[in-house]
Amino acid sequence: MRNETASPAYRGPAGRNRRAKEKVLILQKELPGINMKFLIIALTVLLLCLSANTAGFKTHKVSLPLSFDYYYTFDMVVDALKQLHKTYPKLTELEIVGKSEEGRAIYCMTVNNPKTGRELDKPGIFVDGNIHGNEIQGGEVSLYLLQTLLGKYGVNKEITKLVDKNCFYIVPVLNPDGRYHFLEDAGPSNNRGLRRPHDDDGDGLLDEDFPEDLDGDGNICRMRKKDPNGRFKTDPEDPRLMIPVKPGEKGEWTRLGSEGIDNDGDGRINEDSEGYVDPNRNWGYNWMPDYVQRGAGDYPFSGVGLKAMARYIRKRTNICLYWSFHNTGGMYLRGPATKAEGEYPRSDVEVYDFLGEQTERVTPGYRYIVLWKDLYETYGDSLGWMVKVNGAFGFVAELFMSETETFKTIKETKEAGKPGEEEEGHRFGGDPASQREKLKFNDHLTQGELFKPWKPFKHPTYGNIEIGGWTRLSRRISHPFMLNDLVHRNASVVIFSAKHTPEVSLEIFDIKKTGQNLYRVRTRLINSKAVPSMSQQAARDKIYPKDMLTVSGKGIKVAAGGRLQDTYRDVVSYKEFRPEIQFLSVPGFSKVEHQFLIAAAEGAQVTIKYSSRHAGKIVKTIRLGGK
Amino acid sequence: MKQKKWLLLLSVFVFICSAWAGEVKFDFDAYHTPEALNKALKKFAAANSKNAVIHKIALSPGGREVNLIEIGPEVKKKKKLLPAVFVAANMEGTVPISSEAAIYLIKAILEKPEVSKDKTWYVLPVGNPDAAAGYFKKPLVKDGRSDRPHNDDMDDQTDEDGCDDLDKNGFITQMRVKDPQGKWMPVPGEPRLMKKADWSKGEKGIYKLYSEGIDNDGDGKYNEDGPGGVNIGINFPHLFKYFSKDGGTWAGSEDESYNLIKFINERKEIAMVFTFGDSNFCKTPPRGGRKGSADFSKIKIPKRFGKWLNVDTERTYTMKEVKDIAKRFVPEGMEVTESMIASFFGLGAVVNPLAADLKFYNELAEKHKKFLKKNKLDGKRLDTAKAKDGSFELWAYYHLVLPSFSMDFWTAPELKKEKKKGDEITAEKLEKMDKDEFLALGEEKIAAFLKDAGVPKNFNAKKLMELVKSGVMTPEKMAGFMKNMPKPKSKEGADENEKSLLAFSDKELQGKGFVDWKPFNHPTLGKVEIGGFVPYADNTPPPAKIKELLAGQVPWVFNLVEAIPTVRIAKAKVKSLGGGLYRVEAWIANTAYLPIPTAMGDRNKRNAPIVVSLSGSNFKIIEGKKRTPISKLGSFGVKEVKWLLQAEQPVTVKITADSPQVRQVVKTIKLGGSQ
Repeated sequence: MRNETASPAYRGPAGRNRRAKEKVLILQKELPGINMKFLIIALTVLLLCLSANTAGFKTHKVSLPLSFDYYYTFDMVVDALKQLHKTYPKLTELEIVGKSEEGRAIYCMTVNNPKTGRELDKPGIFVDGNIHGNEIQGGEVSLYLLQTLLGKYGVNKEITKLVDKNCFYIVPVLNPDGRYHFLEDAGPSNNRGLRRPHDDDGDGLLDEDFPEDLDGDGNICRMRKKDPNGRFKTDPEDPRLMIPVKPGEKGEWTRLGSEGIDNDGDGRINEDSEGYVDPNRNWGYNWMPDYVQRGAGDYPFSGVGLKAMARYIRKRTNICLYWSFHNTGGMYLRGPATKAEGEYPRSDVEVYDFLGEQTERVTPGYRYIVLWKDLYETYGDSLGWMVKVNGAFGFVAELFMSETETFKTIKETKEAGKPGEEEEGHRFGGDPASQREKLKFNDHLTQGELFKPWKPFKHPTYGNIEIGGWTRLSRRISHPFMLNDLVHRNASVVIFSAKHTPEVSLEIFDIKKTGQNLYRVRTRLINSKAVPSMSQQAARDKIYPKDMLTVSGKGIKVAAGGRLQDTYRDVVSYKEFRPEIQFLSVPGFSKVEHQFLIAAAEGAQVTIKYSSRHAGKIVKTIRLGGK
Repeated sequence: MKQKKWLLLLSVFVFICSAWAGEVKFDFDAYHTPEALNKALKKFAAANSKNAVIHKIALSPGGREVNLIEIGPEVKKKKKLLPAVFVAANMEGTVPISSEAAIYLIKAILEKPEVSKDKTWYVLPVGNPDAAAGYFKKPLVKDGRSDRPHNDDMDDQTDEDGCDDLDKNGFITQMRVKDPQGKWMPVPGEPRLMKKADWSKGEKGIYKLYSEGIDNDGDGKYNEDGPGGVNIGINFPHLFKYFSKDGGTWAGSEDESYNLIKFINERKEIAMVFTFGDSNFCKTPPRGGRKGSADFSKIKIPKRFGKWLNVDTERTYTMKEVKDIAKRFVPEGMEVTESMIASFFGLGAVVNPLAADLKFYNELAEKHKKFLKKNKLDGKRLDTAKAKDGSFELWAYYHLVLPSFSMDFWTAPELKKEKKKGDEITAEKLEKMDKDEFLALGEEKIAAFLKDAGVPKNFNAKKLMELVKSGVMTPEKMAGFMKNMPKPKSKEGADENEKSLLAFSDKELQGKGFVDWKPFNHPTLGKVEIGGFVPYADNTPPPAKIKELLAGQVPWVFNLVEAIPTVRIAKAKVKSLGGGLYRVEAWIANTAYLPIPTAMGDRNKRNAPIVVSLSGSNFKIIEGKKRTPISKLGSFGVKEVKWLLQAEQPVTVKITADSPQVRQVVKTIKLGGSQ
């Protein structure tokens, strides 16, 4: 059903081209009146701005439909959210969850169709992106998902159904300070963490030695110095790279780390930049102090924005599915995050496997794996908190594979073979072979935007050095030309899982008079989707009440009631106390049956109510006896 | 003359003021409600506005303020230069005397200006006011939960089935019901006390035990969802227990705990923490023997990393070895820290007190014993409670990594046992024995000791002796285990603590600590008997005893704060090397008993180091640093810092040493000119 008052929906690429053409026309019309000199200066300034921020495209104006061929700055993300909300006011709510350490707003957009029910009566899907400041793609995935849900509502049947059934909570940028600095600064350090001062080098000073953009090119690159005793030499295959010397070989270079100076005069360079409190190690489940888990912060939820986020989430008791978008490596991770927690209950794992295997098909190359076992252990991450404390099914997506930055023919690809699983370095693009490959990719597919050639520089401490290497936007981030593919696939992954939020129907069958004033009523709750109405873990750990099935009516008494184990042989396990209320959960692709023996007069009206945190509410009324 | 007059007037004014300060009326002859405690706190602050201020930490779900008082010369300053002491009381809300103790301490601090002249005190009298209010409600029930509603039985209602005072005596006690499936029976010779029937002795249970009440919600269970939510006292991050009934959803899930954690973390000058409540680290150090402590000297590298790192995953490595291995895999210039290793390999957290810290805990416990003896409060009393998982006091030691001392103030006197021969092995004796002395006791004596200690039979004397011979077990370790073991039951099977408590009630309370079993007709259980210990009888002495108990115990706090690390520049030496070059040496000393930081602090690295810095002009540092961090200074420890300085003209150089937890010290030296 299309929302009638909603503004024009997603137009697709054709619409965007038309707008671009309009813009060009306006420019041409205005041309004659403008002094040519002024125009040249203006164009130069514009070009300079663009080159300083090649991927951020600060000068772009945000308009719907949103573009996904460049990265939005934090302000642009906010602008995009406001425009989406303005265009789809009936389907969305835009809230400020709280403020970050530096006072930036954390926005959450709710997508819910009030005509099909209240938020809390629908399965909730919570999506966040960009919790790590440098992992910006999550913001784009979130925006694309929002645009798809809203733009295709009423146009595409599947999307319409999805939006009508569920409630989406989407936080495109959970770490606004991180995104802001990552895209606006020259890139001191990586802007991954929270802007909470921390003494990294144990000298009693906080955040006093950031890297510096010494050559003022808008990038923090690397420094190296000619040194016959250095441990590196020029890579014979590509002189821009360095490789370690073999035993006995003469060296050529010493690597000096990131661009910067020794600000605090302690003999070390760039050793105490911002933070580090890791926003994904600061959550309230299995939190461990910094000596166990680096980046933990002083205590759970010490991050002010995270604390606000937690409060927001706790109020949304319908959240049954959680997606967190990170980078990098091409992985869809599920918990547990530590071995000590023990594996999830079997029936929960089956749900994860069903959804997880599908995600691998949607995004070729990505692996669906278990966090602690296949990657590393983490304490205090958002996944654990969402799954264990709040009872959601949760996934962490690690977007982007460095392997996709290739420059090979089919034949060459075949010859190179697949990188071995044990070659962990490859997946993160650290080994020399993948560096060479990436340089070719840089040369031929990005026209050199990702790598700065080495240039001489006079360093206050090291003297004559060279600065160069990979630019800040070259690491862990898909080049904008690959962004459309990435956001579409990953939004599709969320959409697939959202299709499988619990969908429970209630059937009342076999109403039968079994005594003078006794009626037998049987109920069947059927979940036609994969996600159960309550995870097995949530039920086991008793984190909130189970689903309830209640039988009531005027003048009736539920004499007995319980779980119907076998319909044909009439095996029922009756609940001894309060049989009129049954506690249960409905597993995925499954059914649960109950039987009630009701003492009532003929014609009595009986109301049967099902209510669940994740599967909504159903009320049905029947009349006993007669028609 | 005029000046003298002024001075006189001023001193009279000061005298009046101080007399007025002392006049905040607070008598230690009754227990006070959280409201009364808050009122008193505010009065203390108002009467001492120059050096005391109130901080409102939180508002409890029951609408009660959580307030603490700050006392010291720097109350008006945002940046504190003096070290601070934090005292939290009644975190569980079930120990009324601990709140009184906090007020006693506040009074003492205000009356003795010398204890706050060089430090700041933060005292929180009631950490869990909702629960603390319970002591003044009828019927009386001991429950550490705040007023936050919580659905304990996960049904369709919240807080709907609490205890009920069926016999209308004002106390929630117990119900015993004759039941063929009952596991309980009266203790032979003391039918008021109950014990679990021991089938190996041919006993058979006849009673089921319930807490007093009815099944309000008709679900077949009794009192399973009483009012209340979270015990604030166990809502802290160290060893926090998830999915418990009353611990909260996560560590710091409540305003009372979260805001307190935040408050303390924002005050890095806090150098020592006290917890007044149920446990007592002044008597018994934090317990050890927990499984799963990270041993950094024996690290096993998980199999999944073996191939990648090219290491043997079967053997163990030291932290240094692992660091060396890891260095090959991190980018150049990146420091490999213990924390990085611990988190990467999942080595986990420290859960047992570190040996070096136990040393000061044990030594101070000896002194504490003498202190109590002097105050005539050293009579044998029942063991204090152990610090709970998720408690404030454990968090203070393991996460804040500060010397954390808890104190309880009363348990019932221990009933004298029939004297044994006197040569039996006790924990105290074991502690002082070495390996050979222990083995010399012989198998027979050791077997008897194991039996007395209630050790399971399959662990025999021979086995133990072998373990001691091989060094796996030491007498000292055994003593630690013994101290943490539950008390063996008496011969007739009664709980020794209950026996002592009953004797105390009979003798000192005219039996008021125990309600004799009386028949009652229960609506669903039929004929029952209601009786048992009165709530709080086990940890709350009669009000008449409060003053004496506090006067004899609270001042131990003042002895302990003397041990807070204090830094001095013990000596600074300048040697001219000619040509305007000077060798400067300074000795930075900790003049106090406690080390900087604790061993746990050395592991956790939370505290900022002591920084020794040079200031002044017209000199150049040739060797050494402008700021030298010292991250460790042992008990009465000294560290030398050296510089090579160059000065063309005679100059003065200032050497400063400070950290947020120690007071800044300065020494001035001269380079050149007349010394």
